[in-house]
Amino acid sequence: MKKTYGVKIAAAATVAVALLSACSGNKSSSTGSTGAKTTWSRMEGDIISTMDPSLITDAISGQAATDTMAGLYRYDGSDLQPDLATAVVKPTNSGKTYTFKIRNAKWSNGDAITANDFVFGWRRTVDPATKSQYAYLYSGIENADAIMAGKKKASTLGIKAVNKSTVEVTLEHAIPYFETMLVNPAFFPQSEKAVDQYGSKYGTQSKYLVFSGPYKLVGWNGTNNSWKETKNDSYWDKKNVHIDQINVTAIKDPSTAYNLFKSGKLDDASLTGDQAAQAKSDPSYQGVKQASTFYLEMNEKKIPAFKNTKIRQAISMTINREEYIKKVLQDGSIVAPNLTPSGLATDPATKKDFSAEAAKTGSQYTKYNPKEATKLWTEGLKEAGLKDLNIELLTDDGENSKKTGEYLQNTFEKNLPGLKVSISTVPFKTRLARSTAGQFDMVMGGWSADFPDPITFLDLFTSNNSYNRGKWSNAEYDKLIDESKTTYANNAEKRWDVLLQAQELLTKEQGVIPIYQRVQAHLVKQGKISGLKTTPGGAYDFVGATVKK
Amino acid sequence: MVKYILKRIGFLLLTLFLVASITFFLMKLLPGTPFNNPKIPAAQQAILAKQYGLDLPLWQQYVNYMVGIVHGNFGESYQFAGQTVSYLISTRIGPSLQLGVQAMIVGTLLGILLGAIAAIRKNTWVDAVATIFAIIGRSIPNFVFAALLQFWLAYKMNLFPIALWDGFSSSILPTLALAMAPLANTARFMRTEMVDVLNSDYIELAKSKGESQWQVVAKHAMRNSMIPIVTIIGPMAVDLMLGSLVVENVFAIPGIGQQFVQSITTNDYPVIMGLTILYSVMLTVVILVVDVLYGIIDPRIRLSGEGN
Repeated sequence: MKKTYGVKIAAAATVAVALLSACSGNKSSSTGSTGAKTTWSRMEGDIISTMDPSLITDAISGQAATDTMAGLYRYDGSDLQPDLATAVVKPTNSGKTYTFKIRNAKWSNGDAITANDFVFGWRRTVDPATKSQYAYLYSGIENADAIMAGKKKASTLGIKAVNKSTVEVTLEHAIPYFETMLVNPAFFPQSEKAVDQYGSKYGTQSKYLVFSGPYKLVGWNGTNNSWKETKNDSYWDKKNVHIDQINVTAIKDPSTAYNLFKSGKLDDASLTGDQAAQAKSDPSYQGVKQASTFYLEMNEKKIPAFKNTKIRQAISMTINREEYIKKVLQDGSIVAPNLTPSGLATDPATKKDFSAEAAKTGSQYTKYNPKEATKLWTEGLKEAGLKDLNIELLTDDGENSKKTGEYLQNTFEKNLPGLKVSISTVPFKTRLARSTAGQFDMVMGGWSADFPDPITFLDLFTSNNSYNRGKWSNAEYDKLIDESKTTYANNAEKRWDVLLQAQELLTKEQGVIPIYQRVQAHLVKQGKISGLKTTPGGAYDFVGATVKK
Repeated sequence: MVKYILKRIGFLLLTLFLVASITFFLMKLLPGTPFNNPKIPAAQQAILAKQYGLDLPLWQQYVNYMVGIVHGNFGESYQFAGQTVSYLISTRIGPSLQLGVQAMIVGTLLGILLGAIAAIRKNTWVDAVATIFAIIGRSIPNFVFAALLQFWLAYKMNLFPIALWDGFSSSILPTLALAMAPLANTARFMRTEMVDVLNSDYIELAKSKGESQWQVVAKHAMRNSMIPIVTIIGPMAVDLMLGSLVVENVFAIPGIGQQFVQSITTNDYPVIMGLTILYSVMLTVVILVVDVLYGIIDPRIRLSGEGN
């Protein structure tokens, strides 16, 4: 499960803002009106798990859903655009009520998409009998928690169809990032007719689905290695869908992907490991930033010395992140100066990147500075009343984990006198279990955005968050995060400011040590496609993209 | 003979019951849960576990499972929501079976030929070349062959498809890669056995009757040298037919090998059980068939079998 580890923790690639333009500039290619079909051949590292929007959690199924299904909104670049809704709406009732107008759109079977399809889909996702693993995203919508716990009926969920084309959603409290979650398939409309008709088979094969998005899924039998997406003529915005067909093949072996790309069988190959390193010098190389950060967690419960800020800062400053990425990862990943990855969210007023703004202060704590690190370390040890420190670095059997462990061990012991690091390697799942149970001294963890807002990362390290496994705790930090959800929930700019302050505090304190942000290496056929945008989670948005024949 | 076969079928069922039971409990010792997304909150995990019946006491899960199997219901995959285990296996086993059978045929036929030639030309350069070939085939893992074949024959020389499952031509390279191990194994066994047989008295007798060397080999030596081969062919065939994770990955073949490994890493309990039981059924049936085949090849075994 090595290379899909990222996929797993990146289970949220389906949500997402797009911000990287895979091919910049709009070359004047025609839209394929002259007859012959335009196609684009790409690959995934694994097969689709399910196409039931309530059950999708992995990035591969998520990409297929983004291509073939529509929600209220859709990301175009970093702009949230209305999709099935007629406009991006402002909430009323102190941020607790959203009223969406549904545009005149149709399912691929010709039925109209109505407000009821949203009500039905949302209730179905949150109903425990559906077994959705993403239902927790609904937390905060009226009665969602009680429904998930089996205490209330799904019909009590805070969503209702005011009339055929109006949906009203009621929240228990303002959720400032609510609109960004609506691009997740878990919030897509579902046709009650289709769900009833196909029963337990719904979403398990392309013939047991109806589509609301730019493409229709074709030839997916539920377990096969290749499928097609053909243009959906029922899609309301079909005039902006220019690629007639997308062919997708699951290829697990990166050297096979490389060979297929080089022989012209693939227009876009995603690579890992050695092939990614090799591809970097290729003119077709493109790195696609993922909304995933990897970081070191230090268990303050088990190793009290980690409570000392200087010790944490010293550990961070002794890591040469550039060298680590170049020598160990080799895949074009980038240095993470903050926990929040770059490209995730932009300032509501200035449109500046959150991570870049936050990095302006405090970036010295994630810069390689062995001299300062040694100094801070010595002072820190003294303050903690220690002469030396023995810790165990927990790693798993993933692709780069072993090398990462050795690199860090080497680097720590070289620059931090008195520190002894032993490495414990366990299977991936055991590593997860131990992280959760707090059975570690230090461990490399990772997180991917559930939705494109800094809070998806910053929330993790509040004192009571269950993902704060190292138990770093800072009252001021907690207060800032709390303010972003309460006092400033309805004030985008103020909220942005407190989140920035929280990020800066976290970086300065090194409550968690950010190491790198993942970049997925791709080889993309030169000059064939233009206008293709990708989300930070690595999902493509094919609407608006054109290819040459 | 009928009684003997019935008795063997009885043992077969007992074996399957034990395999299913042991696998069930071993599987429950795997770390992790089927819901490997670390983001699912604990409360939500508990809700999911309840929905899937994973919160029941272990014995109850066991009983439920065994009752399901007896009714032919292997359950639904966790990883592929809504897909039954039977559907998952039936849609993906085809390519694996085809490759397994092809590799078996190519491997054993060439192996027998190579082994026989080596034995007949014992201690000559032919023997040496055959032995080296067998050692290479035995010691280099098949994914290395797969990568080499892909790079040279498909990518560089463009003789075969690089990968993907599209018609017979795309099955040739994976078949060759998979055939190396059975080829080497068979050749090794064949040579050893054939050398023994060629030194035996009845071969001398046949030669003294004036039969040519090829007649002797074809009529007498070959058949008698096959007995140990039959023994190894069975398990080898089952292994091959249930797919090779690595070769299937290299050639992007929609086979069952990937499922086997992935079901374990993702704690997909029903799929693990389904595949283990399928493997056991195939293996035990093949062993039964091999035992019956012995009798056909070697009359001495048949006689003693009837004597009991």
